[in-house]
Amino acid sequence: MGIMRIGHVSIKVMDMAAALKHYENVLGMKKTMEDKHGNVYLKCWDEWDKYSLILTPSDQAGLNHVAYKVEKDSDLVDLQQKIEAYGISTTLLEEGALPSTGRLLQFNLPSGHEMRLYAMKEYVGTEVGTTNPDPWPDNIKGAGAHWLDHCLLMCELNPETGVNKVAENTKFSMEVLDFFLTEQILVGPDGDMQAATWLARTTTPHDIAFVGGPRMGLHHIAFFLDSWNDILKSADVMAKTKTRIDVAPTRHGITRGETIYFFDPSGNRNETFAGLGYLAQRDRPVTTWDESHLGSGIFYHTGEMVPSFTEVYT
Amino acid sequence: MFFDTRPKVSVHVAQTGETFVCASDESLLQAMLRLGRKGIPVGCVNGGCGVCKVHIVEGQCRSLGPISRAHITAEEESAGYTLACRVAAVTPVRLEVTGKFEKPFRKGFANPANT
Repeated sequence: MGIMRIGHVSIKVMDMAAALKHYENVLGMKKTMEDKHGNVYLKCWDEWDKYSLILTPSDQAGLNHVAYKVEKDSDLVDLQQKIEAYGISTTLLEEGALPSTGRLLQFNLPSGHEMRLYAMKEYVGTEVGTTNPDPWPDNIKGAGAHWLDHCLLMCELNPETGVNKVAENTKFSMEVLDFFLTEQILVGPDGDMQAATWLARTTTPHDIAFVGGPRMGLHHIAFFLDSWNDILKSADVMAKTKTRIDVAPTRHGITRGETIYFFDPSGNRNETFAGLGYLAQRDRPVTTWDESHLGSGIFYHTGEMVPSFTEVYT
Repeated sequence: MFFDTRPKVSVHVAQTGETFVCASDESLLQAMLRLGRKGIPVGCVNGGCGVCKVHIVEGQCRSLGPISRAHITAEEESAGYTLACRVAAVTPVRLEVTGKFEKPFRKGFANPANT
């Protein structure tokens, strides 16, 4: 079946102790491993593979790479051929390039972001196990995020020079990686310029999103929660821990998601995201938001863009 | 804060002419936010996004944490550039805002029929 879901993100942090404290105490993740380079690996309680987040020590913030898990090792070979045939070079990193992880197919999206695909990661199990499990464990901290849900990548978009990496990424993701488009923002005089897209491989409204901006970067990584009430609780956790909130609890028109945005101690934006929105399917008609309704698409209640939301990223 | 007895110094923003007071244990940006003042762009407030980049023209500051090298090079830092979210004022400060928002939905992008 090719790509199953988002597997992990690797991000840069400027203060490892502060970052670890944030992802453990605010999101409720647990550290599962540390490698000899000082990179720290964490997972959420409802995830069964060894890690979904890698923190790497750096002098800046931002994304190293995002990885998606494929079903079978043979998918890596098939996808490598398709990606190369599309004109994008790839590297197959041997098993062990990342600890507890099988070989990785490494390439850059047209936007320049590094993506990796892998078929194998060490299984460690969820916190509740697989035999007569409780619905949730007793030892979760903070927001108690279930799993890493998706990421949003900022892609260069400059109508004056005709550069539109959102459209290029979307085409590549659909034609080669077999994502399907669920929603899009179309702008410009003829309303035909893809300024943002949401794409899925699972049955949720998005597993990846691309938004246009002046330069490539990481907009946010998002973690799943069950309900609106869990979003409120996560906001309470942020108040207790003096975490910088970017956008207070609200709803997106796009994806129908219930949300709160905040920053990790290096300024990487996080989201806790609740609700499944709708059943995303390949034959579901694509939802389009036009330029005059862009604000409602992003923040449904106010319909207004928050400047820091679209203009600040790492 | 009605009863804030912390020692404070003044911070002056050249472009807007705004002056606000900053305690010695808070960042220039936190002080501005706490007082509901404007002048310096506000982003992640954690040293990563770079929008609050300023040039300290007069006065002494001390570091409160790491700043992203993607936005302030070592040379810039030694020339007095920093991020307002990551420094506290030691003496009265005069600064110039150098960071600016890069609009993702810019002019030339908008549909004139909708505006």
